[in-house]
Amino acid sequence: MRLAACVLLLAVTAWGQKVPVEEFVLPNGMKFLLVPRRGDPNVAVGWVARVGSVNERPGITGISHLFEHMMFKGTRTIGTSNIDEEMKTLREMDAVRVEIRREEQALIEKQRRGQVADAKDPKSRTPRHRELVEKYDALVKKARGYLVKDELDRIYRSAGGSALNAGTDQDYTVYFINVPANKLELWFWIEADRLLNPVFREFYSERDVVHEERRMRTDSTPTGRFQEQYEAMFWEASPYSWPVVGWPSDLEGITREEAESYFSLYYAPNNLAACLVGDFDPARAKELAQQYFGRLQRGPRDPEPVRTQEVKQLAEQRMTAYAESNPEVHIRYHSVADNHADEPALLMMSNLLNGRTGRLYKSLVLEQQLATAVRAASSGLKYEGYFELVGTARPGKDPVEVEKAIYKEVEALAATPVGERELQKVKNQQQAMDFRRLQSNFGLMIQLLVSEAQGSWQTINQYSEKFQAVTADDIQRVAKKYFAPENRTVALYYRKEGAKP
Amino acid sequence: MMNAIAWALLAAQIVSHPKMLKFEPLKYEPPRAERYRHVLSNGAVAYLVEDHVFPLVNVAVTIRTGQYLDPPDKIGLAAMTGDQIRAGGTVKRQPRDFDEEIDFLAANINSGIGDTEGTASLNTLSRNLDASLALFFEMLRSPGFDAQMISLAKARRAQGMSRRNDQTTGIEAREWDRLLRGSKHFSTWQETKASIEGITREDLVAFHRKYYHPANFVFAVSGDFDTQAMLAKLEAAIQGWGGTKPVVPPVPKPEHKPQPGVYVVNKAEVNQCRVSLGQPGITRDNPDQYAVSVMNSILGGGAFTSRIVSRVRSDEGLAYSAGSLMTPGTWYEGTFRAFFQSKSASCAQAADIVLEEIRRIRKDKVSAEELSTAINYAVEVFPRFFATPAIVAGTLAADEYTKRPADHWAKYRERLRAVTADDVLRVAQKYLKPEELVILAVGNAADILKGDPTKPQHSLEKLGAVQRIPLPDPLTMVYPAQ
Repeated sequence: MRLAACVLLLAVTAWGQKVPVEEFVLPNGMKFLLVPRRGDPNVAVGWVARVGSVNERPGITGISHLFEHMMFKGTRTIGTSNIDEEMKTLREMDAVRVEIRREEQALIEKQRRGQVADAKDPKSRTPRHRELVEKYDALVKKARGYLVKDELDRIYRSAGGSALNAGTDQDYTVYFINVPANKLELWFWIEADRLLNPVFREFYSERDVVHEERRMRTDSTPTGRFQEQYEAMFWEASPYSWPVVGWPSDLEGITREEAESYFSLYYAPNNLAACLVGDFDPARAKELAQQYFGRLQRGPRDPEPVRTQEVKQLAEQRMTAYAESNPEVHIRYHSVADNHADEPALLMMSNLLNGRTGRLYKSLVLEQQLATAVRAASSGLKYEGYFELVGTARPGKDPVEVEKAIYKEVEALAATPVGERELQKVKNQQQAMDFRRLQSNFGLMIQLLVSEAQGSWQTINQYSEKFQAVTADDIQRVAKKYFAPENRTVALYYRKEGAKP
Repeated sequence: MMNAIAWALLAAQIVSHPKMLKFEPLKYEPPRAERYRHVLSNGAVAYLVEDHVFPLVNVAVTIRTGQYLDPPDKIGLAAMTGDQIRAGGTVKRQPRDFDEEIDFLAANINSGIGDTEGTASLNTLSRNLDASLALFFEMLRSPGFDAQMISLAKARRAQGMSRRNDQTTGIEAREWDRLLRGSKHFSTWQETKASIEGITREDLVAFHRKYYHPANFVFAVSGDFDTQAMLAKLEAAIQGWGGTKPVVPPVPKPEHKPQPGVYVVNKAEVNQCRVSLGQPGITRDNPDQYAVSVMNSILGGGAFTSRIVSRVRSDEGLAYSAGSLMTPGTWYEGTFRAFFQSKSASCAQAADIVLEEIRRIRKDKVSAEELSTAINYAVEVFPRFFATPAIVAGTLAADEYTKRPADHWAKYRERLRAVTADDVLRVAQKYLKPEELVILAVGNAADILKGDPTKPQHSLEKLGAVQRIPLPDPLTMVYPAQ
């Protein structure tokens, strides 16, 4: 009994530390990652486009995310009762929109000169503008006549597909769902059709939906707008400076034409990767991949990497915000991109600082009683990275005191080697994490796609070894290298006056 | 490798519409509770689900207690006890030593007390099982309730309270519960700075002693262990636990009768308003629950396919988040709640659309396609309820704790399949009562009530007499007189 359990355990250990991924690439450049596993009769499936807000430019900020919404609007087959008539109407709508845009730009110009108070006030519109809006509204009604509402969602739903959704981040856009094991081919059918024959219907009303999303996530939260300002201050040259959801003026201006040219470059198969984790036969999945996604045409060129690199920060930057929030300090240092050789040591530093037995909690919360919560995080993005520390001041304490105490902990990491037991503790925790993160099929699928978008999925199998190899010297060296005062940006939050208590 | 012609042939076999795809039937039977159920010598029930794919063990305990047992002058006692069982060390170990041991073992241990149950859990590498389990039971049996940790917890709770009116999400949830269940029901009790400060270490010790007896535990254990060996470990852990099985009073039902009308909370700083429209719902022993669930799925629970989302979001672009919920209550009736968040000016328009849809589903039978989509989804997604061994053990333990009928999962799919369009119409008429709706809006009151000047036909004032709810003092929870 005991022996059997032991043998099993060893086999599992070897398996668990390396995710056995079968990779193949179609001739058109689309990559597939397969992880067949026994368990419940379900497959977690998704694909990622290697594009996010970092690939945008002023004028079209937010297009990656808006685009993600458009991918749910159907295809030439799904979502329409008469594709030819519908397309004709959509083109007419675009033409009217171009004219409306001109009117809107004239109003924005008038607002800039102080000739109208609010460019968005319908009362400021010219008769021509009003006429165009009426014409447009009539076309919306006409287009709706051809629409089969949310058919994509309904087909998946009646087949038991769950958690259908997508997410946009700075470096990637990911589309995912769980499908019952017997419905795998449905996923291939729909996803390939979304990429082959997309129709960006309801484009302009979806811009309004995204605007509501922005209001919900940013404008109507106590610190959302301050966080945007903080990001814009932290990144000087890098396109990471703008929000994923986009600036409001860009959201109002993006056209369907811009969305289409964005699609043809970034959603070509050579810029995509798909992943399946769960109960399926890999041979059959390969066949289906070929059959369905093999029809996609490779793009005329691979998208270029982002050209603009962050410039070196020369002086500390600070902002002081009065918000309906706890009194807090946020400290951020420029560090390194994902997969940089220093990343494991930076991540280990965050682990040494975090948790109930982490240095920050023990010192700032328990011993000095300056803070009620403290945390650290190392974030490696595709092109750049940062290390962030956040502390919440205990009632009666000033965030500046918390700030100073955090610097002391950061300086200690540079000044004194970490003890052996402390180092071993975070390494033990990483070993357990290596298994915990694999437990959910869905979670593993997302991790593989995100790693692939940021560089290569292989990193998730290489990371643990690198982490276990970090030494006390590495921690000291890295702490000295990145935690310089001129390399940091600080935000202090105070409770806004009038916000009780 | 295949050649180009073979690929072209494969591509040519693709059907022209996904409804033409043929699928093998999926055979699936839910886990049977008796296969995993064990009764320990003291009467405690344990569900053990072995699974050796990962070298991890998960132990979850549900404890018969809850915040509903707070003494009226010490609101917050149960929540604080649950939290301090984990934070305050043990009788043998200072919090710092206890935490160091757990962290070095790379184990995760948690504890808490919610509205109607206490929970504690351990997740550990199976090679560290014995050491982790010993610490876990030491915590459950003899928590230390360290005085410094208690004072830190009080500071943190007070800080949390001070933010009670900062976010419209929190305000909406709080006021909605009060409108639906009144301020006397435990589910709407609010701790205050004074109630927390009045709680002593002795109160925590006594609350723990009163309810944390293993005869009142339900275990859900999953992962890399041998069932017989695990049973022996659990038996050993509960041996010699002093005290007797506590008698725990039942969870009280609300006595409040909601007053229909339009309620507005002013939060001038935001440009988007959160709106809830609803009324009391049903309990989960109601045989109509299957028809109700299908009805709600069609109305607003079924993502984009549902009527409210389709109209408020994709037709009109008035909201990112919209829908409806009608989860049956376990201990007392749940609520029906339709919701959306929209810019202040378009709130009234979106509310009118939601009301229209509530009226429509009471008036006309749903289409055959809507019905089959809703039922198919619920039936096909069923295996996800048991997706991992930890979920299987957890679901079975929760059923035990809440005394769910034994045939529930076995009959679940056939009961759903039996729902007809007539049933949907009948339950819509029976449980949705437009004239009794409570409508709550949280946002910039002036802008919400002004509405969209180009669409004067929509106005919240047309939906009922508008009553203002002021923001309470966040530390005393006293509402200013208006």
